[in-house]
Amino acid sequence: MSQPSTNLLAQTTGQPAQKKLRILVLGGTGFIGPHQVQYAVNRGHTITLFNRGKTNADLFPKLERVFGDRTLPTAYDALKGRQWDIVIDNGAQIPSWVRAAGAALRDSAGKYLFVSTLSTYVNRRAIGITEDGEQHKPAAPDATQQSAGYGPLKVRCEMEARTAWGDRALILRPGLIVGPGDLTDRFSYWPVRIERGGEVLSPGTPDDPVAFVDVRDLTEFSVRACENNLSGDYNCVGPKSTLTIAEMLYGIKAVTTSDARFTWVNADFVAEKKLRPYSDLPVWMPPRGDNAGWARMDCSKAINAGLKFRALADTARATLDYYHAQPPERQATLKAGLPPDKEVETLAAWHASGRE
Amino acid sequence: MSLDRRTFLKSSAIVGGAFGLGVFPALAHADGAHWTADGIDERALVPQPKPAKKLRILILGGTGFIGPNQVRYAVERGHDVTLFNRGKTNPGLFPTVKKLVGDRNLPDGHKVLKGKKYDVVIDNPTTLPQWVKGAGEALKGNVGHYIFVSTISVFSSYPSPLDENGPLHEPGGMDTPPDQARVGNNYGKLKVRSEMEAKTQFGDNVTIVRPGLIVGPGDLTDRFSYWPVRIEKGGEIMAPGKPGDPTQYVDARDLSEFIVRLAETKTLGTFNATGPKSPTNMAEMLYGIKAVTTSDARFNWVDSDFLQSNQVRAWSDMPVWVAPRGANAFMLQMNVTKAVAAGLTYRPLAVTAQDTLDWYHSRPAEEQAKLAAGIAPDKEKTVLAAWNARKPAGGP
Repeated sequence: MSQPSTNLLAQTTGQPAQKKLRILVLGGTGFIGPHQVQYAVNRGHTITLFNRGKTNADLFPKLERVFGDRTLPTAYDALKGRQWDIVIDNGAQIPSWVRAAGAALRDSAGKYLFVSTLSTYVNRRAIGITEDGEQHKPAAPDATQQSAGYGPLKVRCEMEARTAWGDRALILRPGLIVGPGDLTDRFSYWPVRIERGGEVLSPGTPDDPVAFVDVRDLTEFSVRACENNLSGDYNCVGPKSTLTIAEMLYGIKAVTTSDARFTWVNADFVAEKKLRPYSDLPVWMPPRGDNAGWARMDCSKAINAGLKFRALADTARATLDYYHAQPPERQATLKAGLPPDKEVETLAAWHASGRE
Repeated sequence: MSLDRRTFLKSSAIVGGAFGLGVFPALAHADGAHWTADGIDERALVPQPKPAKKLRILILGGTGFIGPNQVRYAVERGHDVTLFNRGKTNPGLFPTVKKLVGDRNLPDGHKVLKGKKYDVVIDNPTTLPQWVKGAGEALKGNVGHYIFVSTISVFSSYPSPLDENGPLHEPGGMDTPPDQARVGNNYGKLKVRSEMEAKTQFGDNVTIVRPGLIVGPGDLTDRFSYWPVRIEKGGEIMAPGKPGDPTQYVDARDLSEFIVRLAETKTLGTFNATGPKSPTNMAEMLYGIKAVTTSDARFNWVDSDFLQSNQVRAWSDMPVWVAPRGANAFMLQMNVTKAVAAGLTYRPLAVTAQDTLDWYHSRPAEEQAKLAAGIAPDKEKTVLAAWNARKPAGGP
């Protein structure tokens, strides 16, 4: 028995805010948008959704919707003459989109919240990288292709945001965003795999640190950041204190009644078998070289500004609930993680290697 | 209560709704204070087919730790429940349930049971074989099924993953007085004798349930509760032995529901009743508990020899753990296959941990301040400091 996907938001919390904001959300119907919009609505804010009307078009029937295609020069014509307190731009990866939004809206809104990424940092070698960490060389202003690299594109987007909005720009840099609604399965693989039970290939050493942020924690913070009129850059990943991958996997097991047992396969063996950290073995990044500080970013600025973290059990349970509400064909094709036969084969090779 | 937890609970309540009572019924209620109230508790419900027949069930005890869970579950499933006890422990519980009063230590303590008829008797509190004898003589011929709650402490040692046929203690003396009930190995020995007496009194119509450590909301011994409470507090936590050391426990609600269903199916025989269903270990338990909190807990695994030499006792100072060696090598690896086949089900650890915390926070402040098990905070700190000083450079 499955639930309709709209139930995804039935559990969103949020008390009315003191000051009611008029918020224009660019996008708003993807992964993080719906959580953010629902929370903002719960807080009493007035929302206008601006998008193409193609993704999850029926998600918020009661909200004002304005249609526009950001790839077109006329994209923002329908917004002319309007006023908002905040523009939230969740998904832009193309600098010209940010530039055009700035040109069209900077006199119509007081603030611009841009959701960037920790991938803007040139590496994550150091432990405790703050918002001042070295960023990638920006992509060209007219870059549109992913070949420019996700990080460099986002660096350029951030620059465009600052150029257009000055100190009215609020830039959030999340790490891996996880939880209900995630279409990439980069965290979801683990709850789903662990619930299935049996011998689970577990990467690296149990003490390798991991970092991620529940989409609801991120989006709730983003709305409260608007309410509190924050500006500047914020690293946004969790949890607040170090979480190891064993704590993550065993914590996920705790919300199930699975018979999962964990076999730890070291990073060298994983590399020899050409299994990719983060995609074949989601969330995990071997803590060495340029990634030595991958899961040890300094998020104290965001935490001090109000970023909170749900309990892992909450994230794991909600992710499983969401997964089980999906159609069988979607459940059958996870977008990340090891395929079962590959996992079995790798575990067999590991046991035979004598390196346990 | 935090929004975080409320969301967790709501999330799971939605699943519960989607499945009728669902796989997460224990999360349907968010309020920790719930446990101080009487009456039906939906959290005790695991979805099971409704019983075909309404049973007259006499519960001996019924107002302590596990009993109330049996009462709630049995009442909810439509059975006709009567309690028999001294009327001293939690007398206000279950105002609408029939109650009979007697003191089982007295020669005529069971006389109020004479002439009454029951389909099932569930005997929870007995440590003295005389109590079984007293109940048996008073109820002679009037009981269809007697369920005796024993213990895995009946086994004399744990040299392998024992099933129900493991080596038992020599039975204790039939006339052991109450003040001797807990001396030495008497607890286990007297439970062995009580199991024997159950068969003497009730013949073939006997079920013996041998739980391991019983945990969850309502536990006044704090032997599991120590961990959720300690982990929630955060910081550097003394974790005993090795991360892979095995552990076992059973949520009082899982145990109680199993017992009621054994009554419904009149399943006879002897059952080891601990959990979970498949092997788990200390790291899975502790990290799993951490997952229901937002604590900054970090775990420092202290070698069992070091614990011993610093007078940190397994099981009491470091609850739910014994070093897996010697006579106790497999104490926390009991074989529970038979009980699982007979219908013992398990809540997820996250449910047990969250509900234990909710219950703990609903207790009076003075009780919260004084846990009945677990190492004292200052001693934990001192021993950890010594442990860290002893470790080679590059330690934690």
